[in-house]
Amino acid sequence: MIAEFITLLYSKTLLTAVEMPLQSDMVLIGDLLQFIGVFVSFSIAYVAYRGVRHTDSSALLRLATAFVFLGFGFLVEGLVGLDQLVPFLPLTATAIVVGGLLLETTGYFFLAFSHAVDVLLSKRIGPALMLFPIFTISGAQLQNVLSFFAFYFVLYGVVETIYSYSRTKRPDTLFIALGLSLISAGTFFQWLSLLYQYVGVLSLLQIILQEMGLLILFTPVLGFARRGAKLDGAI
Amino acid sequence: MVQYRTQVRIIADVLSTARDMNTEGTGVGITALLRRGNMSYSRMTKLLSELVGSGLLTELNGDKISKYMISEKGIQFLAAYHSFEDFAQSFGLRL
Repeated sequence: MIAEFITLLYSKTLLTAVEMPLQSDMVLIGDLLQFIGVFVSFSIAYVAYRGVRHTDSSALLRLATAFVFLGFGFLVEGLVGLDQLVPFLPLTATAIVVGGLLLETTGYFFLAFSHAVDVLLSKRIGPALMLFPIFTISGAQLQNVLSFFAFYFVLYGVVETIYSYSRTKRPDTLFIALGLSLISAGTFFQWLSLLYQYVGVLSLLQIILQEMGLLILFTPVLGFARRGAKLDGAI
Repeated sequence: MVQYRTQVRIIADVLSTARDMNTEGTGVGITALLRRGNMSYSRMTKLLSELVGSGLLTELNGDKISKYMISEKGIQFLAAYHSFEDFAQSFGLRL
């Protein structure tokens, strides 16, 4: 009797029955958290765009472009999550999911590109340029490849930001490097979650790390707002 | 380490010089701007005419030479530049 109970307790059927709703809830929470990413990304993009208008800076233009892409990427991923709340919305199509991931990866690319241009302007070889993308396309799906590229681009941003900190010694630059590191870890878990889809906790871990990182990236926007720079009509 | 300066950085440098060296309120001569701006005469005169044209600098015509003074718009531009420079540097980037 006891043996049967233990067998039943640990049987795959029972575990699946308990795990499935839990996993579904985690995914739903994760998808809703994407909207924080949307808000943070568009806020950063807005401040950077204001900078472009006032100073014509190409560095800020690249930063704004990166966060516009990231914002739309998170928006698409968040909307896909709404499919669970509004069942008749046919948003789970693979093309839409891949599209969201493509937007996100493009955003990370522009972030890395900003640093690459900064490296060229400062006439130095960035330490991150030594990191070449090492990935395997063994019949991997497009999602896997995009996730890996996203991870690589953010990692490049992390290394360059840390290098920038070593030059400027600004604590807020180090703080941003921490934020990017968390996003980098998040994108790594995103990649892993695609490879090991049966480990549900990876997706939630990815979202939590990514959102924590994005909230840290929001601090320069808060600082900018706090200074209350009255910049309209400067140029 | 030698670094390339972006156009906006050069403009900010020239405006900062025009502001900081104008201690007597009579403007700053092109020689002082050249010394601090680290660029050729022809490039500086072209830039100065652009800055005067856009209202960031005011040209004071003297007896022999022209002097330049930062305008209110130029001061606003510098404030904006430093705010956004701070923002960009937080992300490890330079304007």
